[in-house]
Amino acid sequence: MLVLSYLLVTGITTGALYALVALGIVVVYKATEVVNLAHGELFMMGGFLAYTLHVMVKLPYVPSLLLAVAGSFAIGILTDRVAFRPLMKEGLVSVLLATIGISFILKGTARVLWGGKGDYLAFPPLVSPEPIRIGNVMIMSQQLVVLLAALAVMLVFAAFFKTTRAGKFMQATASNPRAAALVGIHVSRVYMYTFGVGAAVAGASAVLMAPLTLLYPDIGFALFIKGFAAAVLGGLTSVPGAIIGGLLVGILEQLAAGFIGTTMQDVSAFIIIMFALIVLPTGILGVRGIRKI
Amino acid sequence: MSHRAFLVVLFAALALLPIVANQYTLFVGNLMMLYIILALGLNLLVGFAGQLAFANAAMYGIGAYGAALLQVRLGLSYWIAAPCGALLAMAIGTLLAFPALRLSGIYLALATLAFAQFTQWVLLHWTTVTFGAGGFPVPQPDFSSFGVSPDRGIYYVSWVVTIVLLAFAWRVVRSRIGRAFVAMRDREMAAQALGVDLLRYKAMAFALSGFYAGTAGALYPAVLGYVSPEGFDLFQMILHKAMIVVGGMGSIVGSVIGASLLVYLLEVLRQFKATQEIVFGALLLAFVLFQPRGLVEFLKRSVPGWAEPLHYASDSESPADIAVADEVVAGSRGGATR
Repeated sequence: MLVLSYLLVTGITTGALYALVALGIVVVYKATEVVNLAHGELFMMGGFLAYTLHVMVKLPYVPSLLLAVAGSFAIGILTDRVAFRPLMKEGLVSVLLATIGISFILKGTARVLWGGKGDYLAFPPLVSPEPIRIGNVMIMSQQLVVLLAALAVMLVFAAFFKTTRAGKFMQATASNPRAAALVGIHVSRVYMYTFGVGAAVAGASAVLMAPLTLLYPDIGFALFIKGFAAAVLGGLTSVPGAIIGGLLVGILEQLAAGFIGTTMQDVSAFIIIMFALIVLPTGILGVRGIRKI
Repeated sequence: MSHRAFLVVLFAALALLPIVANQYTLFVGNLMMLYIILALGLNLLVGFAGQLAFANAAMYGIGAYGAALLQVRLGLSYWIAAPCGALLAMAIGTLLAFPALRLSGIYLALATLAFAQFTQWVLLHWTTVTFGAGGFPVPQPDFSSFGVSPDRGIYYVSWVVTIVLLAFAWRVVRSRIGRAFVAMRDREMAAQALGVDLLRYKAMAFALSGFYAGTAGALYPAVLGYVSPEGFDLFQMILHKAMIVVGGMGSIVGSVIGASLLVYLLEVLRQFKATQEIVFGALLLAFVLFQPRGLVEFLKRSVPGWAEPLHYASDSESPADIAVADEVVAGSRGGATR
């Protein structure tokens, strides 16, 4: 029982972070019908930016988080300007290939800039490693902080979409770009901010995750696969679906690691993706897609 | 120089290379031919049939591990193990075509990417069969009865195999199959209306590409004498993609040019992993942005006699056609911004 509750708590914590990665993927996909294959590298860059600011420049945690999020936002906008805007008329293949190109440029750059300090960088913990007892469940205070922060990011995100003008522009553009253009929305600018917001969420989740795991240049792709598994499980176009999918992926991989074997943790996301795409292509909360000619 | 003459000169030079080359140059030449095979297979699938799949590196790995493990674990001779490895990759590649029937675009891309990572995981963690992360040495096939060293022997085997597969790809794209591939790529619905059986031709494209990647894989342990999971990772994926984009999507000669140039570049940058990633990422991005039809398009424009028929997507579509298509598919991506 103790093992199970520990696995569940860990699963929910990592799941909340996967949900944030998935959120970024879903927001971009909803608006542009493109999955940014460099999304994981945006996450990785966010983590390294926070490391540089917090550990190397010795800024406090919260300003480092905000600056890292701003940095990811900027890289996200750059991705739109370089890969998406000039290529969206050329079709999906060109955009995907361009985002792969960007992902390797970012990965190589991170290896040059931060790779020299040993391959794996440890991010200092935010709070004391004392576990807290809630009823029968032991929870690491670190995990609790991360979980609460992830929830806060989700709420800010939801509020942004529901209440702000920019959020409503994005919703309008996602549901029908032509109609959005007709009512005077600058669609390509909305696309740009969508890429930026998706990247900013990735950056935020990277900064939250960094104290729990280690940072290394290859972490981006691993996280991207997990975030994508979560997004696809949730239907790829549904924001609540992405969050449920993220939690499910987090819990499933912890259970697989705990009861089958630790190596199963890495592989469960691939199995979920293949299973979800073949058996359940519309996801848990996705809308059945209309086949376009 | 015509495109045919270019191929003849290139392969004549490759045939003569062992006379002047040291062991390292010979190895690079051999690697070049392996990547020519890989690029040809990937180009058939992506450039001609329009299936954006990311499992090429996995097929390469399955071919290599298949051929190597059959020798090391079951003691089979290389000449039996190698074709088995290639056929295994072809069989698994064909199986991938079945999800491809239901999935398209982004879903297919990510399903195959997940499959490639799954394969990588199996190679790393199924240690009782695959020896795990460290890899394992494989004995090189014996050529002493021909009086040549193993390196030279396998070099000539690769040379013959590459030419046969090149000629085969050349024929395929000019046959009924090649035309069906191009039709399927340009518009699935239209192809179906013209009587192209999508299941059959998608399966064929995946099978062909799996066989090419598997064959390159089956040559790999004989060339290197060693296999490890690292040889078939994500970096291979971008490498193969960059080769066909730089050379030219939908071009046989383009695959050869892209593979040859990038193998050379890969060897120049051998020491620095980060530099390799940045350079190949930037090459891929730059070509997609500024020269999306690859070097062959440039050669076709500037070299008299270079006359390979190229099968571009949407070459005949005028902007007016696209506008009409956008009206029909109301609310399609980006339609409003033009």
